This record gives sequence, structure tokens and C-alpha cells, in this order.
Amino acid sequence: MDASEVEFLAEKETVKIIPNFSLDKIYLIGGDLGPFNPGLPVDVPVWLALNLKQRQKCRIVPPAWMDVDKLEEMRDLERKEDTFTPVPSPYYMELTKLLLNFASDNIPKADEIRTLVKDIWDTRIAKLRLSADSFISQLEAHAKLDNLTLMEINTIRAFLLDSLNCLYKLRSNQHPGSSKGQFADF
Amino acid sequence: MFLTQRGRFRSRGTESTGEIRGSFVKMPCERKPMRYGHSEGHTEVCFDDSGKFIVTCGNDGDVRIWEGLDDDDPKFITVGEKAYSLALKNNKLVTASSNNTVQIHTFPDGDPDGILTRFTTNATHVTFNSSGSRVAAGSSDFMVKVVEVSDSSQQKTLRGHEAPVLSVTFDPKDDFLASASCDGNVVVWNIKEQSQLISWPLLQKTNDVSNAKSLCRLAWQPGTAKFLAVPVESKVQLYERGSWDHVSTLSDDLLTQLVNVVAWSPCGQFLAAGSVGGSLNVWDVSSKLCVERQKHEKGFTVCGLAWHPSGSQIAYTDTEGCLGLLDGLRTSTSNSTNTASKQAAVTKPAKDYDALFDDDDDDRVMDEGQSDTNSPVKKPIAGGDDDDDDDDFLMPATGRVRSRAILDDENSLDTGSLKLGQEKFGDDDNTGSGVVPAAPLVPLRPAYEGPMPTPPQKAFQPGSTPAHLTHRFMMWNSVGIVRDYNDEQDNAIDVEFHDTAVHHAMHLTNTLGHTMADLSQEAVLLACPGTDELASKLQCLHFSSWDTNKEWMVDLPQGEDVRALCLGQGWAAVATSALMIRVFSIGGVQREIFSLPGNVVCMVAHGEQLLIVYHRAPGFDGEQALGVQLLQFGRRKRQLIHGEPLPLSHRSYLSWLGFTAEGTPCYVDSEGAVRMLNRSVGNTWTPVCSTRETCKSKSDSYWVVGIHENPQQLRCIPCKGSRYPPTLPRPAVAILPFKLPLCQTSTEKGQMEEQYCRSLLFSNHFSFLSSSGYEIDEEAQSQSQKDQQELLMKMFALSCKLEREFRCVELAELMTQKVVTLAIRYASRSRRMALAQRLSEIALEKSNQIQEVEPEEEEEEEEDYSSVRRPSGSGQSEAAQGRHSSRRYQEEEEEQEEEQREEEEGREMETDEASETKKRVNLFAKEAVSPVKTNLTPITKGGRANPFKVLGSGKPSSASGQPRVTNILDNMTTSRKSFPLSGPAGKQNKNTVLKPLAPRPKTKTQSTLLQMSGTKASNKKTQQNTQPAADTQKQPEAPPPASPADNTENKRPKTGFQFWLEENRKSITADNPDLEETDVIKEAMGRFRTLSAEDRLSWTERAKTGDAADLKKRKRAEGGAEGAEIEKGQAEADENSAKKKKSLDPSSKLSAFAFNKN
Repeated sequence: MDASEVEFLAEKETVKIIPNFSLDKIYLIGGDLGPFNPGLPVDVPVWLALNLKQRQKCRIVPPAWMDVDKLEEMRDLERKEDTFTPVPSPYYMELTKLLLNFASDNIPKADEIRTLVKDIWDTRIAKLRLSADSFISQLEAHAKLDNLTLMEINTIRAFLLDSLNCLYKLRSNQHPGSSKGQFADF
Repeated sequence: MFLTQRGRFRSRGTESTGEIRGSFVKMPCERKPMRYGHSEGHTEVCFDDSGKFIVTCGNDGDVRIWEGLDDDDPKFITVGEKAYSLALKNNKLVTASSNNTVQIHTFPDGDPDGILTRFTTNATHVTFNSSGSRVAAGSSDFMVKVVEVSDSSQQKTLRGHEAPVLSVTFDPKDDFLASASCDGNVVVWNIKEQSQLISWPLLQKTNDVSNAKSLCRLAWQPGTAKFLAVPVESKVQLYERGSWDHVSTLSDDLLTQLVNVVAWSPCGQFLAAGSVGGSLNVWDVSSKLCVERQKHEKGFTVCGLAWHPSGSQIAYTDTEGCLGLLDGLRTSTSNSTNTASKQAAVTKPAKDYDALFDDDDDDRVMDEGQSDTNSPVKKPIAGGDDDDDDDDFLMPATGRVRSRAILDDENSLDTGSLKLGQEKFGDDDNTGSGVVPAAPLVPLRPAYEGPMPTPPQKAFQPGSTPAHLTHRFMMWNSVGIVRDYNDEQDNAIDVEFHDTAVHHAMHLTNTLGHTMADLSQEAVLLACPGTDELASKLQCLHFSSWDTNKEWMVDLPQGEDVRALCLGQGWAAVATSALMIRVFSIGGVQREIFSLPGNVVCMVAHGEQLLIVYHRAPGFDGEQALGVQLLQFGRRKRQLIHGEPLPLSHRSYLSWLGFTAEGTPCYVDSEGAVRMLNRSVGNTWTPVCSTRETCKSKSDSYWVVGIHENPQQLRCIPCKGSRYPPTLPRPAVAILPFKLPLCQTSTEKGQMEEQYCRSLLFSNHFSFLSSSGYEIDEEAQSQSQKDQQELLMKMFALSCKLEREFRCVELAELMTQKVVTLAIRYASRSRRMALAQRLSEIALEKSNQIQEVEPEEEEEEEEDYSSVRRPSGSGQSEAAQGRHSSRRYQEEEEEQEEEQREEEEGREMETDEASETKKRVNLFAKEAVSPVKTNLTPITKGGRANPFKVLGSGKPSSASGQPRVTNILDNMTTSRKSFPLSGPAGKQNKNTVLKPLAPRPKTKTQSTLLQMSGTKASNKKTQQNTQPAADTQKQPEAPPPASPADNTENKRPKTGFQFWLEENRKSITADNPDLEETDVIKEAMGRFRTLSAEDRLSWTERAKTGDAADLKKRKRAEGGAEGAEIEKGQAEADENSAKKKKSLDPSSKLSAFAFNKN
């Protein structure tokens, strides 16, 4: 799974838009959307919102959490806590990126939000690295991934799993007793 | 202590000059409305030396320099966190601020010019001496300092007060200084010797300025410096310079609260006082007559008072930070001395009587209203006019007595002897001189305590925010938004449309200073008020015009201002200050002009209707007395509501007025109550929603922008802590539901009743629209009728359960005949035979009624369907009865009927298409788009149904090859284009004022509409079916919303299985009598499979032959049945796959949409 796939999943999240056209309900596999009335907010998936936005057919209403005060609070909490704190949306990073890239004119204080979300992300990734480090160094067998988002897991998965495999290989070589059978396997 | 003192002073006063109480000479002066000056708290005010500026300071630490009361952008100087006091002379501004200093700033530049002096705590009052060379400051640390402005090192400190100093004032001759303090003393100091000269214990003791009841601002008479005015309780005492004797007291009967501040007029002739209760009095000091009385409009404490250097204005401030102005005081020195001398002559003879009445006054409980009625007739004694004086000379002594006798019964009893001969006199005189009639002008009665007239609400545009804002909404309606930016750089108007298909956004420079706007699908209407040179202008940007001139402008006659304006369909109306309504065509032709009975408050238009709200009469006690007129233009001009009173919530005013999207008038008052016109009950107003109830906090409110009846939506903008939204950040629209304020809506019964009433109310517009010739959305109408019947049935069931049989019958009377039969069945099943008996009588009655009407209507119905205005219940059931096929009965019969229906349908198709062009279409349907626009947009749609639409709409793929297009994407640009037959569509545009909007969904649904017998699932399905169609009127074919149990058998093509089923159904049902319909089919399918291959084949053969005949029926095939079909016969499979192919066509909706960008 790569980042673009995660982003694809994130695009299923709904976001409020204010369309500037009128359209009856549309019926899609994923469910019915609309009706669209000019000037009335309506919930649509992000992919549609962005598509409409790019064609200047709507304004996007940023999600409630995409607010400087709330994000600041969240960042401070994230910095204070040792564990991962609950995030506002399971796709917060992806959504921020998508919405700010395509609809920054509809989002007040877009730059600040970008920085704040980046801060939160950095803090969390740092924590993730730290815990991965201690996971390995303390030879733990399992770890909880509470409050981690898909994107975050995804960033570390490939590397962590590979390195764990390598470690496992190396470790199995250390103990001659068990290594023989293992080695043969490889 | 105070009592005795006051007593003493009074006796002295009456001995020496006579204490004149209650005397009143009215000077006409205008109280300008208060305006916001500073944040809440103590404020002070003064004029600059030239009188050009009003300077105020307040709790927010700013000193503001106003060029006039109307100055919206005053210059300000920040002097600290708080400013306690200020003084201004010789372009030096001295302020006492919260950092315990007394500072100087230059005026008017506001540059800091050093610190004059410091205290250990904040200074409370600063003042200049008459020449401006010294400043005195009193402080909360008990000290008074006198400082040379030129050299702040030269200070004199006056110690002696034992509490914070309240106020200080210089002797104009610069020898003395008077100060008042919280210790209760008023002290006169000798400045040179820094010693107390005399001290009077006049005030109440407190420990701090903030606790002092009165600020006790002293004032020394300018010029002669003869008197020192000291506010003591509700009077002002005058002390003579030199002797330091109390010489007189200025008081007023109506002045009952503590006097807070006093100020001498620049000529020294008049003394103004402001009190804690908001009274403002001006006395002529030589005569001790109260010449002016005003009351603060809200009764707040007056804490700052200043005379204009010319003496014609008084500026005052209150503790709420507001600034007010009394203008037009006639106190120029020459005039006042004249009158004063005359008055002196006049008052002498009157004195005896005065004394007489004074005693009287003291004894009785003073009714302020009463004394107020006295005041105007006292005018002859001391009036400033020559007329008055003449009058006085004619009847010098009796003027007062006479008038009292007339107007005050209580007094007249006491002074009976005097009254007798003079009453007549008075009458003659009053009528003759014309003085009295002029006097009882209401607005200048400050102390009248009866019902007060409410200031009439100003005219406004609904959907606009206040005009004084620099960034504001001029209009927010269902079409778009007009914003006004009025700041230093530019003055511009932005017009933005919700639907960009109407027109692109516009940006105009507002050179004319437009303040009002309205917006419709056709035009933008703007207006500006007139100025001295320029007349009030009306500007119309007619963007939908097809010629090149998209704009016109009209000047109103000089002196006539636009107060309100609105745009209808093809016309515009303007209400002016001359109480007139002018109607223009949208192209600028003047069409109508008529007068309005009162000042307009608000005006809106919709289609051909014009709704005007105006002031019917002055309201009292916070109420507004508004009247409403509803006019209809167009072909048949008439007035629908003839100036009836508009009901408002208690003590509220109108805050929004408009039409629903369907054309029903409604309005919102400041209490958040939304009311809608109920045309079915003789144009009454029904409250449909209270936005206040949904607000989280008291200061929140909803700013209404639109109302829709179908679907029921109240579109509004939630405003936190204000009444209207800011332009930035861009507010988002929210939707509120409606709720009629019925009783006990927490119970099930109440809820259903509420739903029923609401449904009835919100379907009123159908009959209105059809009666006025508009296209109506019959789909939605029948849906709402169906909902109503369903609700009735539910209520019926509930009443049955509660054993309320009488109520049951009442409900049954509201039902249609069809539903009554259901009710009968329900009643008999629940063993209520008596009820069933009564119900069957009702049913019989209803069916009789129907039969009477039927013969005539049956014929017309096909041709003239749109024009038949049907009464909600009976027409429906009549149709239902005529066509109704009772389920579970003979299938043969049903089939026959089906055939017949097919034929009808076929016929109808033709008439339908032909008649479509003739129809006037409802242009008010939600998504109305201007037809001109419509024709421009290219038609790119293919007739594809949505493959994912699971709702089983009537004809999912228009398989019958009809020319109609079902693609709902059409809505996006227009609805009109869905008809390839655009030739006649063009014609249509011309011949009616009402422009066509959407094809009328021609339905033949009435036959099955009310078949409530369907299962719940089927009900749901039909509901869903009709929903989208209702939204857009787009579904060209309505699905026959029959229950599947009823119709599946008939409507889809017969398969072998079905033929087999028909034969064998009876045996299956006989075997399993308790099976449901679906279960029967399942069972049948099981059995069919067990048949041998040949058997099945033979059935299939039979089916094919039968199929050909049935082909026609296929178009009516019910989509919902498709799923079932798939699993059924093999023969069916072919058909289905063909269908599927079609529906999976790549140009599905979304992609079509994607390529359709304009």
C-alpha cells in the first residue's frame, strides 16, 4: 500500500460544499449525493468536492477541526502526551493536503493550518520513530497502534517490517542451536 | 440631616426670591438620537473652543474627536487604558487616565505633550481655568492639585478632603477653587493660600467615587462668577461668590432623581443639569424657570455634559458610553436677556399664586403625568415669543391659574373660587392665541409615564445588514448576494449569484452611494438616497435584457427618497418617502403609481405579487403597529390583503419579510417567530417556526435568508451573539425545520397533529398556484396528500387504541373515501362494530359525493388535467375510486383494467406533449432559471438513466424509446432543454408573463396514489420515488406508485413462470394460507423449478406468444420489480441483459456532467 492509495481512501471522506449550480440527486454506487441547491451546503465526498472546486462549481466549507484554535490545542496536547492522542479525522493529513492544495481560498488562515497540521504530523511521526526504536531495542513482541492513522502506519510499515525481518534473520543466526534449521530455510 | 437642611434652604429660598418650582418654559429643541461613543462606563464630553468638534473620553481609554454627531469615523487619541476625565482649552487636551497621571496632548493632532502631574492613584476630574493657564485635578488620593500648564513644576496642592475628590471647578476670576468630595463636603479653597475657605456638608458620604450616588460636578458661573452651582440630590443649589450664601435652588417637579452633572451655558444665563435617571434640565437662572426638559432616550445616567460655545447645543454622554446632543436651544444671550427682563415683570404678579400652588404641590403625591399637562400652559407666563408676551400682558395674573383649572381637576377643586369665572376665559384664550394647541406636542414630554409611543421602525431591505457597517450585505436572497464595501479606499458593490448559471458575478464601483439593493433572476436594482444637490436615484442593471443596453437609471422627484425597493418578475417597485409606491417595468417603463397609507417598512415581490408592510399608526409600549398589503399584478390586478394589521410578537419589530420559493408571503419578527400566510383560512398568519427556540444562547439569532415549502426548509444563517452575520468569514447557510406551536407536541398525538396541520398548511400553495394559473408540481402535491391521509390513518389508529370513537369519526370525516374503507376495516378488525357502522355511513356519503361530481369531471380530466383545480380530498378519491383495482381480487379484471390504462396512457402521451407547450409553467419552482439563459446553453445530454439509481423510478431507461430524456443532469443547466421539442418552447416565452420553467410531470398516478393497502416497504418505495421528482419536477414520467403486490403481476412482461404461477397460485395459497405475497412467490419458484424441463419450456413458449401482446406494457414496467425478475424466468433474462447494457452506458451521469462545464 502506498501513500496514493491511502489518499484515495481519504477521498471517500465527506466534506461540506456550497455548490453554485443546481442538480437533482445523483445516484452512485457509493450512495446518493445531493440534491444540489445553489447556496445550500451539502455533504459530498472529497473527490467530488475537489473535482467541482477545480471547475469552480462550488465552495468548500472546511471541516470543523480545520481551525487554527482547535489545531493549536491539538498540537499542544500531542506534544504534551507521550502516547498518541486521538486525531480529529482518520485522514487528517491527507485531507489537509488535498483541501489546502485545491481549495486554499475557501479556508481561512490556510497557511497557519498547514503549518499546524505539519507540526502535529511531525510530532506524531517522531513519536512513532521513537516507539519503533524502543520496540526494537527492548525486543518487544507486539505493540499497540492506538490512535494511529492509516497514513502514519503506512509511512513506517515498509521500513519497519523489513527491518524486523532482517533483525529476525540476524538474530536467528546468532543462536547456533536454532539457526541450523532456519538457515536451511533461507 | 439632609432633610433638615433642605428644609432650611427652601424656606430661605422662598423668603428671598421665591422658590420657583415646576415653572416651565419650553424651548423647542431637538434631541438627536444617541449614538455609540465608547465602551460601557464613565464617559465625559466637551466641545473644543471653536465648537467645531465634540470631544469625548471613555472607559476604553480613547479620546474621540467627533466632527458632529453623525461622524461615523471620529479621530481618536489613545491616552491610556481608561480615561476618567478630560478638559480642552487652547488646543491643549488634558486627560486623567488610569496610569495615575494627568497628561497633555495637543489638539487636534493628539501628540503627547508631557505629563502635568501625578497622583498616587487616578485623578477623577480635571478642569481648566477660564484662561486656560492652569489645570486643576482632583484625585482619589484625597488631593486636589492646581498646576500651571506652561510649567508643570509650579503646583499647588490642596489638602483637606477626607475622601476621594469627586469634582473640581475654578473660579472664573482665578481666586478660588471649589471641589466636592466623597466625604460629603463641598469646599471652596483659596488657591493662593492653599487653604479652605468654606466647607458645606451637602453630600452623602461614600468611600469611593465608584460608590458615589452622584458625581456632583460643580460649576462656577462663567463671566460674572457670581454663582457656584452645586448639585445636591435632585436640585441644584446656587451659592453666591463672596458671601458664600446659599441664594437659591433650582429644581423641577419632574426631576426626582439625583443630579449628576451641571454645566453653565457660555453666557452664564442658563444652567443645564443631567441626572442619574437620565433627565436633562435647563434652567434660566435669573428667573429660575426650567426652560427645557429632556429625557435620555433610554434613561441611562448622564455623566457628562457640555455646552456648545454658541450656547445652542448641549452634548451629553451616559454611563453606557453613548453620546447625545440637544440641538436648537434658543439661549443666545441677547434673546435670553430680553425674555428674562420681561419675565421678571411677569413673574412677580404670578408669584402669589405660585406660592399657593407650591404648597399644594408639596402635599399631594405628584403625578408626573399630571404635572406634565400643566407645563405647556405655563408657557404664557415666561414664553420667549412676542405673542406669548402679549398674551401675558393681557392677562398677567390669571394665565397660570386658569390653565391649571382647566387641565388639572385636583387643583381646580382646591382653587375653586379662582376657577369659576375663568374657565371660559381660558377656553377662549386658548383657541384664540394658539399657544396651547401648539404646546402639547408629545415627543417633548420627557416625564410622561403612561404608554409611550414606540419609535417607529425604520424602513429596511429584508436580507440586508445595517447600513452603517463598512462591509455589509445589501441583499441576500435565494438568487444571490449583494455586498457593499464602503471603506476609505473604495466604495464598491459585489453581486454574486448562488447559481452561476444565472449570471456571472459582478463588481461595480458605487459612485452614487447606493444603500439599497434587490436581486432577481433578471436584474439587480439599486437605489441611493437623495442629497442636497442630487435627487434620489434608482438604478437597474437589467442583465437578462437581450439588447445591448443592460442598464437604466431613474431620478426621483426632488425631495423624494427611495425607502424600499423590490424586484418582481418583469417589474420593479419602489416605495418612497412621499408615501408612494412606484412600479416600473423591468425595462424601465413607469407602470403604476399609488399611495401608501403610512411610511413603508419593508417591501418584497415575487412573481406577480407585491407585499408591502408599512406603519399603520404609532405603536405604544414597544409595539409596532404595522399594516400589510398584498397586491397582485399581471393580467388580473387586484389587492389580496387590504392593509390589515400585521401580527407581531410582543414588543418586537419586523426583521425579515419575504415570499417562500412557492410564493406564499411570510415574515420573521425580532423575536424570531416565523409566520406564514394561511390562504385557506382567509389570509391569516400562522406561526410556523420559532428560531429563538433553536438558539443555544440568548444573544444568538438566526438571520433568515429564504423559506421553502417543498421541501420544508427555513434557510438561515446562524449568528453568534449578533442579529446579523458579518461578511467575512463568509457565513454558511443552515436549514431549520418548521414546527407549528401546537399543544402537547411531546405526545404522539400532538406530534401527528402537528405534522398533519403543517402538511396541510404547506400544501396550500398548490391550490394557490393552480388557481392563479401556474404550473404546479403534482407529484409533490399528491405526495403531500398521501402523507396527510397516512397521518390521518395513524391518528385514527391511535384514537382507536385510546377508545376515542367520536374522535375516530371526526378524523374519518377528513379522510378520503378510499382511506375510510381502510379505516372501516381497521375498526371492524379491532371489533368496534359501532364505529365501523358509522364509518361506513361516512364512506357512503363520500362515495355519493364523488359520484355526483364524477360524470362531468371524468371527461375533462384527461384533456384538461392541469387546469382542474381539485379540492384536496374528493377529487383524489374520485380518481382512486374510478380506477382503483382492489388487490388480491381477480387478476383477469385487473388485466383488463390494465389494458385500458395503457390505452389511456397512450392517448395521454399525445395530448400531453401537445398541451405542454401551451401550459404556463411554474416559474417559481426552486431551480428556476431564466429562460433566456436557458436557450443559450447547449444541450449535450443523452437520454441515459443513472445505472446506480436504486430507487426503481418509473421508467429507468426510457426503454420505450420515447423522445424524452430522463437524465437528471439536465437540471444542472436548465430544465427546459429536456424537451427536444424546443420549437414550441420558444413561442412559449412570449405569450405569458409567467415564463415556463419545467415541464409539468404528467402523471397518471392518481389511480393508485392512495392505495394505502400496500405494504410498508412499498410505501417507502413510492415515497422515494416521488422524492427526487418532487425536487426538480424533472422526472418526465411519474412512476405509478402502486404496491408491488398489486402491480407486479400485471405490469411486467409475462414470463413462463408467471403463466405457470397464475395457474397455480390458488393451489399454493390454498396449501399455505398464511403466506405473504412474497413468500407465495418464493414458494412458487421452488415448485416451478421442480417441474421437468419440457414443462418449463412449454410454459416459456406460452409466455412468448403472450409477450408480444404485452409489449406495450413494458414501458410501465416497474423498476423495483426488476430485482425479482432477474431471479425468475430465463426468458426474462434476455430482456434484462438488454436493459442492463443500456443502463451501463459509459456516458453515465457523472461523466456527462464533467464534460458539461460551461
